[in-house]
Amino acid sequence: MSVAVVSAASIPSQPSPRQLSRQRAIERFRWSILGPLIALLAFVLMPVLFLQLYFSFHQWTVYLGSWWDAEYVGLDLFWEVLTDPRFGWAMVRSLVFATGSTLGCFLVGFALAYLMHRPFRGQPFYYTIFILPMLTVPVVVAYTAEMLLYQSGPINDLISHIAGIEFKPMWLTNPDIALLTVMLLEIWNWVPFSFIILLAGLSAIPKEPIEAAEILGASKWRVFWEVQLPLLRPVIFLALVLRFLEAMAEFPKTWALLQGGPGTATETLPVYIFLTTWQYFQISKGAAMSYLVMLLMIVIVLFAIRLLRREKRSLDTMYAVAGQGPAG
Amino acid sequence: MTKSNISRRTFIEGVGLTVANLLPGTTPFAFAASMEERTVAAAKAVGATDVSGMIWSPYLVPMQPVIAEFKKQTGIGVGAVQDISIFDAPQRAMAEALSRSPEFDFIHIDSNMIPSLASAGYLEPLDEYMKKADFKIEAIGDYATFMTYKGQTYGIPTDGNVHIQYVRKDLLENPDNKKKFADKHGKELKFPETWEDDLRIQETLMDPSKDLYGSGNLRNRANGPTWWYMIFYSAGGFTFDDDMNPTLDTPAGHYAVDIYLRDKKVAHPESAGWGTPQMIPRIAQGHVVSCQYWDGTAKLNENPEKSKTKGKWLYGLVPGSDFSGKRIHRSISSPLAALLINKYSPRKAQAAYLALWLGSGKNSVPIVSDPVNTFHDAWAKEHMIAPQVINAYTPAGIKALEANFQVVAPPTYLTGYLEFQDTLGKNLSEAYVGQLPAKDVLKKTQDEWSAIVRRIGRSKLKGELASYKAVMPKRDLPA
Repeated sequence: MSVAVVSAASIPSQPSPRQLSRQRAIERFRWSILGPLIALLAFVLMPVLFLQLYFSFHQWTVYLGSWWDAEYVGLDLFWEVLTDPRFGWAMVRSLVFATGSTLGCFLVGFALAYLMHRPFRGQPFYYTIFILPMLTVPVVVAYTAEMLLYQSGPINDLISHIAGIEFKPMWLTNPDIALLTVMLLEIWNWVPFSFIILLAGLSAIPKEPIEAAEILGASKWRVFWEVQLPLLRPVIFLALVLRFLEAMAEFPKTWALLQGGPGTATETLPVYIFLTTWQYFQISKGAAMSYLVMLLMIVIVLFAIRLLRREKRSLDTMYAVAGQGPAG
Repeated sequence: MTKSNISRRTFIEGVGLTVANLLPGTTPFAFAASMEERTVAAAKAVGATDVSGMIWSPYLVPMQPVIAEFKKQTGIGVGAVQDISIFDAPQRAMAEALSRSPEFDFIHIDSNMIPSLASAGYLEPLDEYMKKADFKIEAIGDYATFMTYKGQTYGIPTDGNVHIQYVRKDLLENPDNKKKFADKHGKELKFPETWEDDLRIQETLMDPSKDLYGSGNLRNRANGPTWWYMIFYSAGGFTFDDDMNPTLDTPAGHYAVDIYLRDKKVAHPESAGWGTPQMIPRIAQGHVVSCQYWDGTAKLNENPEKSKTKGKWLYGLVPGSDFSGKRIHRSISSPLAALLINKYSPRKAQAAYLALWLGSGKNSVPIVSDPVNTFHDAWAKEHMIAPQVINAYTPAGIKALEANFQVVAPPTYLTGYLEFQDTLGKNLSEAYVGQLPAKDVLKKTQDEWSAIVRRIGRSKLKGELASYKAVMPKRDLPA
């Protein structure tokens, strides 16, 4: 008779009552967090999305009476939107605006974060100053800018005085630079967002790889380029993606400042969707536009998630090779 | 024995009212002597309550003493108010119409929204309430028709907002300028009668080196069409034919675009993006030679605490045009702020009587003559003779108001007003800043308007055309 030798570790052990209780507590906690979110999704967001979907497939105007009188038109509205040159131009403007302002926010935010990530005297003061723009309401930013950006206004006067040249661009009324003006305001308003994310990322980078590189004689530039930047890549992607999505939806400043003008120079997607839905009362076309924009955003988000996962995997590999986990 | 103070008119009114009250089916309110008293009597019968509304606070503030008096007499006052700019109110009101919300009992809004809101089923007709209180909108000229749509009255005006002509008197009467103008144009420098005259004056008298520009007219996307309509109508143009085909791409339309765009030569370089917040201070501070502007600016100009140009302006009829072969003048009122009542409101009767109370000639005198809150402008016959109103506008200003009211027109007074307006504004603005060739403005607008007509419904809009035409002025020149 043979006796099989079985190691104690291979026998699935029954969880102790304490472990069971702990698991149940974790489960309860998880549902206490997820429950309200799922309820919000089910009872608030989904009905809105379904209603939007209904409108996207049914031609309805406010003058028709009941919503259910709307005529089913299949994909006609989507086709109408996709063949509308005004929508196309609004899309181009939005993409230019979002790309420009995202890059601007990133570059300035990163520069500030890099300056601020090591402690120095008076750091809290500068930190407060740098995040102030983000605390300013966008409409207030727009109206303040309106007062400052006249051709003979204080901003141009100040630049002319400092530079000793006649600097008189028409920030708000020249159609060639009006979008750039809103972009600059967006950058000013939202640099702190990128700054905070990137500062958190920089502060979380483990010191050991940097110290090792310095001991090996790497210059500051090489430390930055070959150690800090690769370690920061996931955070950079996150900052870029979140900012891009936010910038695509920018409305208050553009509307309060220029209402899409001069001409159609600042008629971005949110402005055009607003005009279509609430100025022209083409609720169905507005809904179809919103869906198309949402699909675009979902594609961008999925792409970003894929990139972030790839970055995380490469970081994990890097840490595994280095034989250490990330700090924190 | 003292002499009786009863005039012949009062006596006849009294007899009439007594007889009216003896007739079966008439209301006892007819006993009340004045329109205000009849409104109070009718309001008392529907019960005391506070009504809620959507109104911009600069408009509400000067109304408050008048509302307080109504509350004292009837128990009907204003409770919760949503403070929304008159420029944002149409979108919000349409959202209310969409949801058939009873939240607001009244809305204070551009009356050109009446067709759209009535089509959306949001508005309560006021004729029954007016009949019960024997109330009439005693406006100058045919201005009361601006409150009507398909034969029913939907609004009570609170702000006339008619455009009048402003010309700098000191510049016009300056001998050097007179000579300069005569030398250049071979004619006398005087108050402009045509659009071409106005452009000549602006061009000759402007001096950008002194920050003095010829024109103070608005050319931004939101407001530009208001000016274009004046020129277009005065050239004999009208927006649609009887079959609701747009008739913009016509000689009158192109003439209007040409005059509209020539403003660029005499306006401040940044005018393409300027609205009233930028332009009104420039007018009051004397940086403008001439313009057509809302009449309230006259009150501002003549208020020495807010203006540097008191006594320096001439006021008059907006320029006209000989383009059609006869001289036609057309002023415009847009936005014309009016009180409209929500059909879904459980307190619509109270809100309606409050609107009538605020819209009586007598009660609205303090509202339109408030020296600080100058948003409401005169519109009633009674305003034209009230000393405090005359004092606020000056006698010349009042004469200008009266003249322009006689030839005042609306923008496109149809369902879809905002869409017609924005499409035109977008294309005019694109042309003004050089994004669109001038020759394409009207063709593009006409195509876009045709699409709007198809979407809203040609037959529906054809049914509204008579209302639009009824609001158009009946005379080419003021009497």
